Amino acid sequence: MNPPALRALIADSLILWGVAGRVDIADAGVRITAGDLVLHVTQARPEEAPMRWWLISEARRRPAASMLGLLRSLRYALNATGAEPARARVAAPS
Amino acid sequence: MIPVSVITGFLGSGKTTLLRSVLRDPAYAGSAVIVNEWGDIGLDHELLETSEENLLGLANGCLCCTTRGDLARTLIDLAARRRSGAVTYHRVLIETSGLADPAPILHTLLVDPTIAESHRVEAVVTVVDALLGSETIARHPEATQQAMLADRLLLSKTDLAPDTSALEAQLAELNPGAPILRAVQGAIPPDMLFASAARPEALRHWLDATVTPTARHSTGVETISILREDPIPGVVLPLFLEALAEHAGEKLLRMKGIIRVAEAPEKPAVLHGVRHVLHPIEWLEDWPSADRRSRLVLIGQGIPQWWPARLLEALEEEARA
Repeated sequence: MNPPALRALIADSLILWGVAGRVDIADAGVRITAGDLVLHVTQARPEEAPMRWWLISEARRRPAASMLGLLRSLRYALNATGAEPARARVAAPS
Repeated sequence: MIPVSVITGFLGSGKTTLLRSVLRDPAYAGSAVIVNEWGDIGLDHELLETSEENLLGLANGCLCCTTRGDLARTLIDLAARRRSGAVTYHRVLIETSGLADPAPILHTLLVDPTIAESHRVEAVVTVVDALLGSETIARHPEATQQAMLADRLLLSKTDLAPDTSALEAQLAELNPGAPILRAVQGAIPPDMLFASAARPEALRHWLDATVTPTARHSTGVETISILREDPIPGVVLPLFLEALAEHAGEKLLRMKGIIRVAEAPEKPAVLHGVRHVLHPIEWLEDWPSADRRSRLVLIGQGIPQWWPARLLEALEEEARA
């Protein structure tokens, strides 16, 4: 996923969550600024598989194995309320 | 699986009249009927001509809020009596109160494991008064919600309102995929109302009516369409649905789709959901038309137009990496 596509998805996610913030392309990922909080999202290197993403704040680096995990971590880091962790299952056709 | 259909509509729209007419049809006469009435004294159930043991009233509260637990218990109890041979019925018809939001009712039907293992939601039919419907929708959010969640919209009292074009346009904006049917005194073949909304022809109608290249905007409700030429990897579906439920949650009013899954491209997967509750995925034996693209339609409020497509694209890219 290239940085412009990542920026677009995360910017839309902030709108969806009702978070006032700004998303800019920075280095190999994006920088998210929401109030005093600054977060970075970067793609993991191939040798870091199965991790695909890093969410980096001043305090810690949090890995995510999928975009689903990254969005969940980002929402949590932004303290955006209302998330309902869900599980969906798809059965194979018989 | 016992089919369950929900008849909803605002106060005085003609739900009970419709139900009375439906129960006169021999194929539907043996239905179990659950009537929810608002108020201390239930009257509607007195007007229904059906066997006493097949008719249950849920009074003193609205089915979508205070009596949801009663609905679950009633359905479970009915099914147990059916298994024991104490009652006989082939389907369940639920008439909501006029102020009910159908979404929590569908939620109960879909997520309660005891109900879901033996019942299948077939259709939500919303009755709209042809004479007063426009004003009711404008003034009462419950009526709007009932129209938006319908699989089929039924205009009642059309003999009193010769020109329903404005109301039909209003309904089409709220729920572009639901066919608008008409009836006087509830006279309409019940199969037109209660045939499964997941049947290929019903699904095709819904998708044909709602898949547009851009979002529609009306009264804060947006229709977001996603089209995919290429098959979607199966592993993406649960991730996408989880993300939708988790992040779009209450903003997602309705979702339907037909998906060409990479691992089984000849058997389309049908997605169907209300808010954060998703029906179990159904697999069709064949495509309902020559169009074999994946098509997904989301109706919601406050969901950025491109967010679902961008999310799906990101997940597809991960799956293919």
